[in-house]
Amino acid sequence: MSAMTASPPTRAWALAAAVLRWSVGGVFIYLGLTKALHPVEFLKLVRQYEVVSQPPLLNLIASALPWFEVICGLLLVLGTAVRGTTLVMMVLMIAFTGLVVRRALALAAAGGIAFCDLRMDCGCGSGEVWVCGKVVENALLLVALGIILSAPTAFGLRPALFRGPRVAESRVERRDAKAAF
Amino acid sequence: MPRATAIALESLAVAVLGFGLAIVANWLSPRGLSLTRDYFPVPTLATHPATGPAPAAGSPASAGPATRARLVAHGLQAISREEALTLHRDPRRAQGLVVFIDAREERAYQAGHIPGALQFDHYRPEERLPALLPLCLSAERVIVYCNGGECEDSEFAAVMLRDAGVPAANLFIYVGGISDWTAHSLPVETGPGEGFAPAAP
Repeated sequence: MSAMTASPPTRAWALAAAVLRWSVGGVFIYLGLTKALHPVEFLKLVRQYEVVSQPPLLNLIASALPWFEVICGLLLVLGTAVRGTTLVMMVLMIAFTGLVVRRALALAAAGGIAFCDLRMDCGCGSGEVWVCGKVVENALLLVALGIILSAPTAFGLRPALFRGPRVAESRVERRDAKAAF
Repeated sequence: MPRATAIALESLAVAVLGFGLAIVANWLSPRGLSLTRDYFPVPTLATHPATGPAPAAGSPASAGPATRARLVAHGLQAISREEALTLHRDPRRAQGLVVFIDAREERAYQAGHIPGALQFDHYRPEERLPALLPLCLSAERVIVYCNGGECEDSEFAAVMLRDAGVPAANLFIYVGGISDWTAHSLPVETGPGEGFAPAAP
């Protein structure tokens, strides 16, 4: 909440970042729940990536990932462990986008069609989608996560799990806000 | 604590605690997956991109030679739409001697299935198998289908029925599946279906 005591531009920036954080958190909760409520469908899609194909690892990934996404979304909405959560989501987002692109390229090559003409269910929680659109969507989410990572956190319920003295944290937050402008 | 270290530690905490909580959530969920069960008991050739067309590249209605070869390799018999239609019109179907099994999940089944087909989601056999098995055991022909094309659910369901005691000689896979059926404007039935009671407690 330190950013809320800062100058008006910093406050506006923090507020905008909070709105972005709630939106991104909401997206993750929605996409995670879509998969978590239909785990068998997600299990089949995960298997198609041919990264893991045997239980218990396959089942573990397919059963935990959707709920993990929901939990991370909730943390973002609550404003808890914001930077840690954001960083984890960025790493996962990059890895999964890479896997989607790899599979889409293979399918496009096998079907003899252009990458951007391919529709597939990537197991992302949004059903069958145009792959190109999905890549753009993921890139936008990554940018949003980058903004959340670098902006000061407003309306957060314990934004940082591990922190130094409050004064030092406040300075860090203000310096971040200035750097962002 | 340096800021980078704090963020790294926080990421680790989120990853470990979040993953643990996610496993608990799956365990608590009535639809949760078993961690140890092999949901895909039959080795597959179908999912590799090099062995089949892209699912989005066209209709999955026609089953390729690869699918038929795989069925034969697994000791299963493939039938065409014409054969499926003949069996569907067979008077023995009314007597329960010819049984159609829809191996897709509940939502897809309710959206439209071959008239009279019984739904069997092999991923959740405990829900239907106890009631379904006696019907399949007493039938002379059991025809199993799913979406068609490269979908494997009919094979998995047939293998599960075979392992439960249904003679392999009585089991047939309609490889074209529901896509092929509807593509030829054959009748479909929507809703939960009829003539099938859930397993008795």
